Amino acid sequence: MHKYIIRRLLLLIPVMLGVTFIIFTMMYFTPGDPARIMLGESAPESEVIKLREDLGLNDPYLVQFGRYIKNAVVHQDIGRSYTTRRPVVDEIMARFPATLKLAAMGAFVAVALGIPTGIISATKQYSLFDNIAMVLALIGVSMPNFWQGLMMMLVFSVYLGWFPASGFTSPKHWVLPALTIGTSSAAIITRMTRSSMLEVIRQDYIRTARAKGQVESVVINQHALKNALIPVITVIGLQFGFLLGGAVLTETIFAIPGVGRLMIESIFRRDFPIVQGAVLFIAVSFSIVNLFVDILYAFVDPRIKSQYK
Amino acid sequence: MFKSKKLLVLLSMVLVFALFAVGCSQPADTTPDGDTEQPAGDVTVKDTLIVAQGGDPASLDPHATNDQPSARVMKHIYNTLVTQNQQMEVVPALAESWEVIDDLTYEFKLRQDVKFHNGEDFTANDVKFTLLRAKESNHIGHIVGAIDPEGIEIIDDYTIRISTEKPFAPLLAHLSHTASSILNEKAVTEGGEDYGQNPVGTGPFKFVNWVTGDSIELERYDGYHDGPAKMAKVTFRAIVENTTRTIELETGGIDIAYDIQPQDVSRVEGNSDLNLIRGESFTTGYIGFNAAKKPFDDVRVRQAINYAIDIDSIVEAVFQGVGTPAKGPLGPNVWASHQGLEPYGYNVEKAKELMAEAGLADGFKTTIWTNENQQRMDISEIIQNQLRAINIDVEVKVMEWGAYLDGTAAGEHDMFILGWVTVTGDPDYGLYALFHSAQHGAAGNRTFYTNTRVDELLDSARVETDPSMREKFYLEAQEIIRNDAPWIFNNNGENIDGLRKNVKGYMQHPAGHHYLYNVYFE
Repeated sequence: MHKYIIRRLLLLIPVMLGVTFIIFTMMYFTPGDPARIMLGESAPESEVIKLREDLGLNDPYLVQFGRYIKNAVVHQDIGRSYTTRRPVVDEIMARFPATLKLAAMGAFVAVALGIPTGIISATKQYSLFDNIAMVLALIGVSMPNFWQGLMMMLVFSVYLGWFPASGFTSPKHWVLPALTIGTSSAAIITRMTRSSMLEVIRQDYIRTARAKGQVESVVINQHALKNALIPVITVIGLQFGFLLGGAVLTETIFAIPGVGRLMIESIFRRDFPIVQGAVLFIAVSFSIVNLFVDILYAFVDPRIKSQYK
Repeated sequence: MFKSKKLLVLLSMVLVFALFAVGCSQPADTTPDGDTEQPAGDVTVKDTLIVAQGGDPASLDPHATNDQPSARVMKHIYNTLVTQNQQMEVVPALAESWEVIDDLTYEFKLRQDVKFHNGEDFTANDVKFTLLRAKESNHIGHIVGAIDPEGIEIIDDYTIRISTEKPFAPLLAHLSHTASSILNEKAVTEGGEDYGQNPVGTGPFKFVNWVTGDSIELERYDGYHDGPAKMAKVTFRAIVENTTRTIELETGGIDIAYDIQPQDVSRVEGNSDLNLIRGESFTTGYIGFNAAKKPFDDVRVRQAINYAIDIDSIVEAVFQGVGTPAKGPLGPNVWASHQGLEPYGYNVEKAKELMAEAGLADGFKTTIWTNENQQRMDISEIIQNQLRAINIDVEVKVMEWGAYLDGTAAGEHDMFILGWVTVTGDPDYGLYALFHSAQHGAAGNRTFYTNTRVDELLDSARVETDPSMREKFYLEAQEIIRNDAPWIFNNNGENIDGLRKNVKGYMQHPAGHHYLYNVYFE
C-alpha cells in the first residue's frame, strides 16, 4: 500500500510537467499582449514596450519556458503576478482556504442530501418519494448554478433576510454558496446511489442475508450500502475535485475570493504566472483527491487493497 | 425494520440541519457582516463604512497600477501635491500654495504640519523621490512624463521647484491624479517588492489589512493634517457581480455600492431605505472608424454613417436613460468641452445622399468589433440593423478584451466600439492620445485619424499657458473632429452610486475617485 502511494505521488511529477507545458504553450499563443492589457488602452506604446522588456515577454518561447521550469525546479519559484507583483504561491494560498472551505461544504451538502435520498429512493423504488426525489434530482442537475445562486439570494437574503448575500467571512455566509454548489452534486450523487443500490440489493448475498432473517436496516446499511458505495465514492471524489478547481460562477456571484475566480480574472488580465500556477495547483489537487479516493476504496472494499502493490 | 431506517435517515437529516444552525449562530454584538458596533451611551453607533466596488485593486502602490479600483482606495491613503475639487478646480493639498516661475517651472510651498502614517515628516525630499520614481514606472510614467527629472529642485525642506522639459499646461491636473500621490522614501525602501501590499501615505485613512480578492480595511489616521475623518474605519469590498452588489446594498450588508448598473437603477430608487446618487462622469463612449482603411478613409462615408445611426434611441434603449447622448469627444464637465457642436441627427436621406456622392449607393460589407461587454454588443446589433437602411451589411465581431486591444491597435478593424475616461478633467488627456496623428494605434488613436490642423492645435494647446488661448485651440480642434467624423459620438456616462439612507456627507467625483473623508452615519 505504501509503495503504491509513493508511486502515485511520484507520478505527479510528469503530470505537473505535462500540465505546465500545455498551459504555458496555450497562454503563450493566446492573442493579447499582457503588457498592453496591464497598462490599459490609454498607456503610451513606449511604456508597453518597456514593460514587455521588463517582464521578459520579448524572449522566444523556448527561452521563456526554460526559464520558468528552471526557476520552478531550482529555486522553487513559480514567479510573481504581473499585476500585483506578489509571489504566485502567496496569491494562490491566499485564495485556497476559501475554495477548500467552499468545496468541503459543497461536498458535505451533496453527501448529506444525496446518499440518504438515494438509499430511500432505491429501497422504495417507484414510490411517491422516489418519483419526487428523481424529479428534484433532474432539476438539481439541470439548474444553472448562477441562476440558482441569484434566486437563493433573492429569497433568503432580500425577502427573508436570513443569510447575507455575499462574502465568506462567517458561518452564516457559507450557507447559500454551499447549498448552491452542493445541489447539483447532490443530485448526481442521489442518482448514482440509487442505481448502484438497486443493482446491489438484487444480488444473491442480499437475498441470503434477508433469508437468514437479518434485520432490514442491517441488510441495507451494512451489506448493501458498503458494496454500493464504490461508484458513489468515485463520483464524490470527482465532484470534490471539480469543486476544488474552483466554482467560478458561485465564487463570482457570492463574491468569494477563491482560486477559480483568481484564475478567470488572471486569464482576462493575461497574468500568465498566476494562470500557470493556478492550473498547476488545480491539477495537483485533483490528482491528490483521486489518490485519496483510490485509498478510500481499499477501506470500503478490502478486496481492492490486495491489488495495491 | 423500516421504522429504524426511517429514524436513522431522520436523525441524519436533523444532524445536518443542526450543524448548519450551529454554523449560522454568531455573537450578538456583530452585524451580519461581522463589523462590530461600538456602544455610545445607550445607542450603538456604527463606526465602519463598508463600500463595495466591482473589482479588487491590483496594488496600493500608485506607481504599480493605473486601475480604477486601486485609485479609489489609494485616494484615501495618500495625498497629492494639489487636488481637484468636485468642480475640477485645482486646489491646495500637500502644497499650500504654488507660483509659476516661468513657462517651464512651478514652485510649490509645502505644508509643514504633515506626517506620514509611519511617523515620518513629509518634506520636499519625499516629493522629489516620488516624482523620480513615478517617471520610471511602466504603469503611470506617462502621467508625469512631461516633468524634467533634472528639473526637480529642492529649495528647502518645504519648498520645491518642478520643471517640465517643454511647457506643459495640464501639469497641475496631472499632479492631482492619484498616480502622483506622494510616497515616503523610507516606507517604500522598507516595503521593497511588497510595498504595494503595505502602503504608507499621508491621507486620512491608514492601511490595515487586505484579504486578497475580498476586501481592504482602512482605519482613521488621527494625525491627519486636516483633522481626523468622520468614520473610524472604511472597508472596501470587491463584489464583481453587479446584481450581488445591489442586493448587498438592499440587505444592508454594505453601506455604499459603486457603479449601480442601469437595470438596477429603478430597484434602488424604489427602495425607501436607499438613496441613489447620480452625476456626470468623464466617460465618453464612441463608435470609431478605421480612417486609414477603405471605405472609411472617405469623410463622406463616415458622415453618412453618423447620419444613419439614431444615437438618441441607442442611449435610451441600451443605457436605459443613464447618461446622455454625447455632443463631442469631451464630456460636458471637462474644461473647454465644446457643447455647442451640432449633432448629426438621425437623417437617413442625407446619409443616402452622402453614400451616393462617395460612389457607394449600393453599400458595402464591413465589420464592427466589440469586446464581450453586453452594452457594446447591444449597440453593435442596433448599428447592424440601422445601417441596412443605407445598404451597409455589417458583421458583428465579438472579441475577447486582449485580442480586441491588439487588433484595434494594429488597425485590423473596420469599425469598433470603445470608451475613454478623461481622468484629469483636462482636454489634453481626452483629445491628444485619441486624435493626434503621432498617437496612431495602441497609443490611443485607434481610428488612425490624421489631420495636420488638429495636430497643430493639440500641440499648441499643450504648451499654451494662457487658458483663454488654450480653450480657443481646443474648441477649434473639436469642431474639426466633429466635421471629420472619425468617431460617432455615442454617450456621456454617469457615475451612479447607491447609498443606505443613513449615509450622509457623500460627494461624487466625476473621475469616479469618490472621497469618503466627510462621510458619516446619521
